[in-house]
Amino acid sequence: MIIDMHMHIEEVASLGWKMSADDCIRAMDAAGVDRAAVMTLTDLPGLNPAGLELIADACASHPDRLYGFIRLHPAHLQLSKDLLRQATTDLGFKGLKLHPVSTLQHPGAPPTIELVRLAGELGVPTLFHCGDEPMTTPLSIAKTAAACPDSIIILGHMGGYFHVDEALEVAERYPNIVLETSAMPYPEKIRTAVERIGAERVIFGSDGPVSSPSLERQKVVIAGLGEAAAALVMGGNAAALLGLAA
Amino acid sequence: MIIDGLVYLGSSHFGYELDAASAITGMDGVGTDIAIAVPVHPAGADFGPVNDAVIAAALDSAGRLIPLARVDPWAGDAAVVELRRAVLAGARGLFLHPSEEHFRINDIRVRPIVECAAELGIPVTVSAGFHLFAEGLQLGHAAEWTPDNAFVLTNGGQFNISGLGQFDAELALQNPNVHVQTSGIYREDFLERVVATFGPERLIFASAAPMFEMTYERKRVDLAHFNDVERQLILGGNSARIFGIEE
Repeated sequence: MIIDMHMHIEEVASLGWKMSADDCIRAMDAAGVDRAAVMTLTDLPGLNPAGLELIADACASHPDRLYGFIRLHPAHLQLSKDLLRQATTDLGFKGLKLHPVSTLQHPGAPPTIELVRLAGELGVPTLFHCGDEPMTTPLSIAKTAAACPDSIIILGHMGGYFHVDEALEVAERYPNIVLETSAMPYPEKIRTAVERIGAERVIFGSDGPVSSPSLERQKVVIAGLGEAAAALVMGGNAAALLGLAA
Repeated sequence: MIIDGLVYLGSSHFGYELDAASAITGMDGVGTDIAIAVPVHPAGADFGPVNDAVIAAALDSAGRLIPLARVDPWAGDAAVVELRRAVLAGARGLFLHPSEEHFRINDIRVRPIVECAAELGIPVTVSAGFHLFAEGLQLGHAAEWTPDNAFVLTNGGQFNISGLGQFDAELALQNPNVHVQTSGIYREDFLERVVATFGPERLIFASAAPMFEMTYERKRVDLAHFNDVERQLILGGNSARIFGIEE
């Protein structure tokens, strides 16, 4: 089973952003992807007050294909904690998404740590945008990993263009860090990640549908992981994180 | 004809390397006929030997490699002298790397070099997208100095994993002489939007090997949603036109 752990659904007219569940499904089908974690591009509370319902409806419309992650703003801490509980307990969401570029919340600051700890208590992973921008680098998110040892923390993009080696280093240091492969351009770094931290802690993602799941899948193919490791990276690990494993 | 718009040849001061034989082996593996080849940053400050090495490799390549000359604007007038010398020796374009040579692309020191390229009738390729040195609007500014000369930006003119570089790159593309390469661009919608908005003549396939991987970089173009005419231009037609390569 192929699972894409990083896709987006959004509808914000003021930003000109519109990508639907059907857009994701089309891109998944073209790439041979069976299931995907989906999340908005905006934070709650924020530009799309209906973001929670948008993701919940998408997942309800495509059962066994789409699984919701709720994207939250840690500065609105109490509301975010309430929304996280509601999403995971009442609506079946499978994870938390945080993007420090849009929230301006440092991963090592108390509100983010409190929210990520709650995600761990609720049994869901936290997917961080992890790239080259301030507050999103692996060393920034490592502060969260150190403070929240019982929470699974996914480094989306595994460090972007220029911080991939640091993503590998912090993943070696903190066993609760998982690396996600989307967007970063180096196939061989996926193989390096598997060699250094184990195939069980590397997961496939595309950042689609504006990025191509078909192309992103090829990156893992080119990495040449071998059958067993590739099966874990392409879906086995994600199934466990989403609670789908038998 | 498939033309890779950028490969780096030599052993870089910054630790990466690719020799001509390995480059051609890699090109054969992915069906690339010709590559535009640029020197890496040398161990010292003298760019003459690395320019000569790439020109020599191109002469030995039976037309598979097209050499560009790389100069350091901090060399002052000597950079223009080196560009003229390298072009006389066979270089077919100018390559600038603002990040590795630590200069701002729209610094006034760069202008004489870019103007010399225009005078010589050779295109300018710039390693693009680096914060402080080669941001989208800085690149657009430098492209304005010689509006009738092709100005090619690597990496879609941007490096940002949040997609935040797209806006300035598209503003740079409002200069008709600006072209962008596909290397490293994870946003398929950006590549498709460049073609839809600015025309297929403005997008150029490039691997930027060995910084990026040839097979994967080729797939960026193969899997994007272009028609046959657009794809032919992107994969080779545009580089052929810009660098004067007979198809």
